[in-house]
Amino acid sequence: MSIAEDAPTPALPSVVNPYLTVPMRIAESRFDIEDVFVWRLEPPGEFEFAPGQFNMLYAHGVGEVPVSISGDANDTSSLHHTTRIVGGVTRALGALQPGDEVGVRGPYGTGWPVFEATGKNVLFVAGGLGLAPLRPAILHVLAKRNDFGRVTIIYGTRSPENILFRSELERWRGRFDLTVQVIVDRAGKDWHAPVGVVTRLVAETEIDPESCIAMMCGPEIMMRFTARELEQRGLDTTQIWVSMERSMKCAVGLCGHCQLVGTFVCKDGPVFRYDRIEPMLLVKGL
Amino acid sequence: MENLEKALRQHPFLQHLSSEQVKLVTGCAKSVRFASGEFLAREGDRLSGLYLIRDGVVAIETHEPGGRTTCIETLMSGDVMGISWVASSRIHFDCRAREPVSAFSLERECLQKKMDRDAALGYAITSRLLDNTYQRLSRIRLQNLDVYR
Repeated sequence: MSIAEDAPTPALPSVVNPYLTVPMRIAESRFDIEDVFVWRLEPPGEFEFAPGQFNMLYAHGVGEVPVSISGDANDTSSLHHTTRIVGGVTRALGALQPGDEVGVRGPYGTGWPVFEATGKNVLFVAGGLGLAPLRPAILHVLAKRNDFGRVTIIYGTRSPENILFRSELERWRGRFDLTVQVIVDRAGKDWHAPVGVVTRLVAETEIDPESCIAMMCGPEIMMRFTARELEQRGLDTTQIWVSMERSMKCAVGLCGHCQLVGTFVCKDGPVFRYDRIEPMLLVKGL
Repeated sequence: MENLEKALRQHPFLQHLSSEQVKLVTGCAKSVRFASGEFLAREGDRLSGLYLIRDGVVAIETHEPGGRTTCIETLMSGDVMGISWVASSRIHFDCRAREPVSAFSLERECLQKKMDRDAALGYAITSRLLDNTYQRLSRIRLQNLDVYR
């Protein structure tokens, strides 16, 4: 069976012309942490997407990069992207100001299994910038909170200064119907939450393996370690979903840059059920 | 007064020990408390035993010249502090109560004697310490990869 079968969410929004870049105006831009900027874009019309999908963002004359959508899928009048500056294109994008235009192609790819998770306990595990692709799924679950069981968010990052969406995490943490735990790799004396890695918190989280779906996004090594911890806690790999980040260029499964054996991360992912992607993640060099 | 043996049985580190084994461990145990900011141990100390943490948070810290403190790990309820015992080594880090901590202190010499006399107890405690050490080592390895760069 191909891992592309059984799409995780039904009726995924798809782009009308996958090769057409649409200009969009940057309505708001801010740096959330030192090298990560958050945009609110104004699409020319309604922009529908499923939590977990991504767009190709084009910096005029510089190049194009895949960036996951980090906003609320119920708000079709605006589009949010959260981007880390890691190279020439993202640096050019990060230099743009409100009022400037950017090219957008998308949405592409598969989404988080938010429909399959209905009625179940949901565990979100995010690492570093991985909170951004998970945010639309979290917002979906919170918007329909009564449709889900226990909801837990575990977030790990490098240091207290690197906490993404900090004020939002603090707000979520104040809710009675949600458990939010943050852990950092290293901290000074003024940090009062746990220090260590996310697997530590996963090991201690209340999990009912019979009724739980885990969605995680972060560095691939972190996801492999976390999946193993979740298995230790009784979850089957069919209950774990991950979002992959590979070198996506065309976003339509033609160029092969993001190919993993017979799978294209851009087209068959970026969200995969773990049992279908794990064999490839364990192959060195892939 | 709290029944120490019953309370010890609840700690994850001692779960699934036989009643007889828990009784033996109880003979080496006492309840201890540390105020927020108090050090359970300092770098260079030779620990006189193990601490089984019941409540609170212990920060494993080190400091740089100039006084900057870096916390590299926190230990919480259910954790064990003092695995340096395995290597009979002086400890490498400061262990500070970041909030009030209550723990069971297992006196080293006493427990060591009982473990030497009773091989089953020795195996049970040693295998738990090894498991705990492996879990901690795995986490530290992941931490060292600095994956969020």
